Amino acid sequence: MQPFTYTRAETTADAVHAVVAGGPGTRFLAGGTTLYDLMKLNVERPSKVVDVTALDGLDEIDTGGAELVFGALARMSDVAAHPLIVAEYPALSESLWRAASQQLRNMATLGGNLLQRTRCAYFRGGEPFACNKRKPGSGCAAQEGINRGHALLGGSDACIAVYPGDFAIALVALDAQIEVLGPNGERTLRVEDLHREPGQTPEIETTLGHGELILRIRVPKSPLGRASTYHKIRDRESYAFALASAAVALDMEGDTVRAARVAIGGLATRPWRARMAEQSLIGKTLTPQIAREAGDLALQGAKPGRDNEFRIELGARTVADALMIARQRA
Amino acid sequence: MSEMPFPDTPRVDAYDKVCGKPIFAADDARSGLLHAAFAVSTVAKGHITSLDTTAALTVRGVRLVLTHENIGEVKPRGFIMGGGYGFQSFQPMLSPAIAYRGQPIALVAADTLEAAMEAASRIEATYEQQPFSVTLDAEGTETINQADTPLKNFIPEIVVGDAEQAFATASVKIDEVYNCPVQHQNPIELIATVAAWDGDRLRIHEGTQNAEAIRHGVATALGLAPEKIEVISSFAGGGFGQKNSLQTQTVLVAIAARRTGQPVKLVVPRTGVFHDASFRPATRHRVRLGADKAGKIVAGVHEIDAQTSRHDLFPGEYAATSSRLYGFASFRGVERLVRTDVQTPGYMRAPFEHPACYAMESAIDELAYALGQDPVELRLANDTSVDSPTGLPLSSRHVAACLRRGAERFGWAQRSMAPQSMHGEDGSQIGWGVALGAYPGIMVPAIAHLKVADDGNVTISVGGHEMGQGIRTALANAVSRKLDVPLEKVSVVIGDTRVAPQHLTAGSWGTASAIPAAEDACDAMLKALADLSRTGVRGSPAEILKAAGRQSLEVEVQRKAPGQPDAIFERLRAGLPSIGGPVYGSYVTFSYIAHFVEVRVEPGTRRIRVPRVVSVADCGRVISPRTAASQVRGGVVWGIGAALREASEVDARYGGFLNADLAEYVLPVNADIGSIDVEFIDEPDKTFNSAGAKGLGEVAMTGAAAAIANAVFHATGRRVRNLPIRIEHLL
Repeated sequence: MQPFTYTRAETTADAVHAVVAGGPGTRFLAGGTTLYDLMKLNVERPSKVVDVTALDGLDEIDTGGAELVFGALARMSDVAAHPLIVAEYPALSESLWRAASQQLRNMATLGGNLLQRTRCAYFRGGEPFACNKRKPGSGCAAQEGINRGHALLGGSDACIAVYPGDFAIALVALDAQIEVLGPNGERTLRVEDLHREPGQTPEIETTLGHGELILRIRVPKSPLGRASTYHKIRDRESYAFALASAAVALDMEGDTVRAARVAIGGLATRPWRARMAEQSLIGKTLTPQIAREAGDLALQGAKPGRDNEFRIELGARTVADALMIARQRA
Repeated sequence: MSEMPFPDTPRVDAYDKVCGKPIFAADDARSGLLHAAFAVSTVAKGHITSLDTTAALTVRGVRLVLTHENIGEVKPRGFIMGGGYGFQSFQPMLSPAIAYRGQPIALVAADTLEAAMEAASRIEATYEQQPFSVTLDAEGTETINQADTPLKNFIPEIVVGDAEQAFATASVKIDEVYNCPVQHQNPIELIATVAAWDGDRLRIHEGTQNAEAIRHGVATALGLAPEKIEVISSFAGGGFGQKNSLQTQTVLVAIAARRTGQPVKLVVPRTGVFHDASFRPATRHRVRLGADKAGKIVAGVHEIDAQTSRHDLFPGEYAATSSRLYGFASFRGVERLVRTDVQTPGYMRAPFEHPACYAMESAIDELAYALGQDPVELRLANDTSVDSPTGLPLSSRHVAACLRRGAERFGWAQRSMAPQSMHGEDGSQIGWGVALGAYPGIMVPAIAHLKVADDGNVTISVGGHEMGQGIRTALANAVSRKLDVPLEKVSVVIGDTRVAPQHLTAGSWGTASAIPAAEDACDAMLKALADLSRTGVRGSPAEILKAAGRQSLEVEVQRKAPGQPDAIFERLRAGLPSIGGPVYGSYVTFSYIAHFVEVRVEPGTRRIRVPRVVSVADCGRVISPRTAASQVRGGVVWGIGAALREASEVDARYGGFLNADLAEYVLPVNADIGSIDVEFIDEPDKTFNSAGAKGLGEVAMTGAAAAIANAVFHATGRRVRNLPIRIEHLL
């Protein structure tokens, strides 16, 4: 791997300053589970990394207030196992423990997890594969290639790489926000606004500016939390990325849906909130048929490639099953 | 005493392994070690027109960049199936030729691994590319009928009666095509070589199944006397046939060590494992079965198209097993090889027998449904005690016992025959499937050296390699029992060319070859001790030695497979495959297994689960019950992988393999595995060898994928004839 400079930041301001000052080749380093992996593959070649793991107060898990507040350095495994999250927000817990492996969850931070990069083999594989995300302008080998796992929603002719994360899907469903510190101070944005669709610039994956650091994740407390699930369908029962996933949350009045949240993962180039599906459920008695219709709405607009058409049907069924699981928890 | 089953004992090497002792080559951290990395070809075929190493040489810590331009003379060391030592005849980096994507084009040795990797990434190659073909059906492949090649001289065609004619006139017929994809072994231990020179002597530390092929192959390549080379492979962290011969990196690492004057270690990264070693080739199987209305099978025709490379013919021996599953009245096997632009495929666990049993046992299940017969009853009705292809008796065959025991343990009698007729409380479809597996009984020659000392220590040194299958424990068990000494006093030295010739350990012949030799050595030792104790002293070997005033006593014996000539020991010493069986003049030996599988298919998203499997194996005498049961569970897990998970993806535009890592090449994980209930018939086959042991490691996997596929059909009514069976096939 390319030689690089390593520094450890003492304060959040120092961290931001160090990355800004280091220029475009400088990266934040937290758990390292994505960055080091891609550096070994020669896909990421930072000239400098700024370790943020020593920053104080960013590993908190605060469930006492009106919001759940997770420090960006909280470990995936700690949040997944937090008793209140397990009991009151199962979609959050499940989206974490159904990701990666225990070893990775012990290393990976929440902030880093949100920024996990795609698993597209043409992106990770380096030369000789054409990849606009890795090498802008080189083309997209996935369009006519093996695209069984590629995006059906939010893609472009420049890129159909799937956003691979799970936690962000649950956060988008639950209207979470992130606090960000940048060279111009702090700002807050919705997790839903964090990731971008590739368009013609797939190398730009988020709306964060260079040097902007995620500090905290805030999830509004909600009666929808308890009747929630993160349902993840994949090629094996653990340690695999989603073929299709759904984070759903329900507020029920008897058998009738008062409010619903639906977001889908593994199917789109970014976390995908399915508002039409949500709307279709309001005021309805939740039956498998109604759930399935919501699933179809969630996948509306899906554009299949050579190998992935089955995931439209699979995605709809995943949403439907997730709704019925959440219904059991109401 | 040898008539008794062996007790359940822990692995003798378990403690070192769980403590992380540095017993594997990749863990070598001796001082002065240089680390090596490959640069690899990004094109699938052609030749290098220029190779610029300038930037690589500027990386701090780089000691050597080795390419075809500066490597010097290296002699061909051959193909293991062509009288040589390599998994393929082609040795990269000796010329500008590119035979496949991922092929090494340069080796960098540096003070650190990071420097070596960085320098490798800075090597600039330009190529003249040629058209290439990487799949069975691609344009530009070449199909060869194996019977038209010299391979027919040692892989006999299977022809019993006139199968085509019998099929044509059969009352009930099955004629279907089954496909198995490319698969790659992924031992947790990556391929790794450490080479160190001491003057003109070379010592190689590498996890392998064939230390002798490495020794002689490197000797041939470098023009050295084999006596100058020592190969040590005390442990391989999984082999599965991937490490069964000289691989492409070893000679290159040895040259790098000689050139730099320092020991050099190369650990092939996971992506490289998909391109630097052999793999299970893609195969297509057309199976025709004909039966009379009562269910007697009158005809079997098995035609196979199997992928090979441009530079080697990796032989096909699929019909050699499928023809042995039943008492076929007529049978014809056709083996065709399809040349593609890949590295040469090889012997991944149950290399022919898994695909052959998958195809044949799927077809048998289809026949059972065509006849309306219970699949177990159909199999019992076509059992045999005669080897169909040769007409010879089988030395042992307990297939019926495997089927009956398995059916009882599984509760098969509760099965309803009709597809889609069984359901779980959650609405899932339940399917129960059965299939047989078989694997040839093979033995190889072995030389065993046994030493007992007056402190009670016993050392057995013999040909054999420990790759996790438990051969070290089996040897310790056998010697401990024979000499009546405590297990912990027995040291086992294997995988070491310094102590005994190290024949390839594969093909499930390890136990059947090493154990009889070790037991012969024990007999010789007991006789020598008896001679020593004529004074009247009785007791343990140590007591006899002490009474006789001797510090130690050593014996050496050699043993070969039945019918092998004495000249076989010359082949053994030359590191060449010296394989006997499964046809031994007057009899034929196979191991067998019956798998019973339950699958549950989820109603919504159609995930396929395998909550329970019952497997009953006929492997002769079980020498190490614990590791044997572990072998069978592992084999079933492999079957689950092959049936439902694993496939190496090939993008025909680029060549090579795309999903070349453990995240994307979908091996089963613990969460995929339910109950695997293992039983052994444990009847010794004393015709085969004195220990009564037949092979186990490979037969364990055979048939498992078919049992799963048959269970999926029973659950869903869908007959998926392409592996792996995935969600998209059942939506």
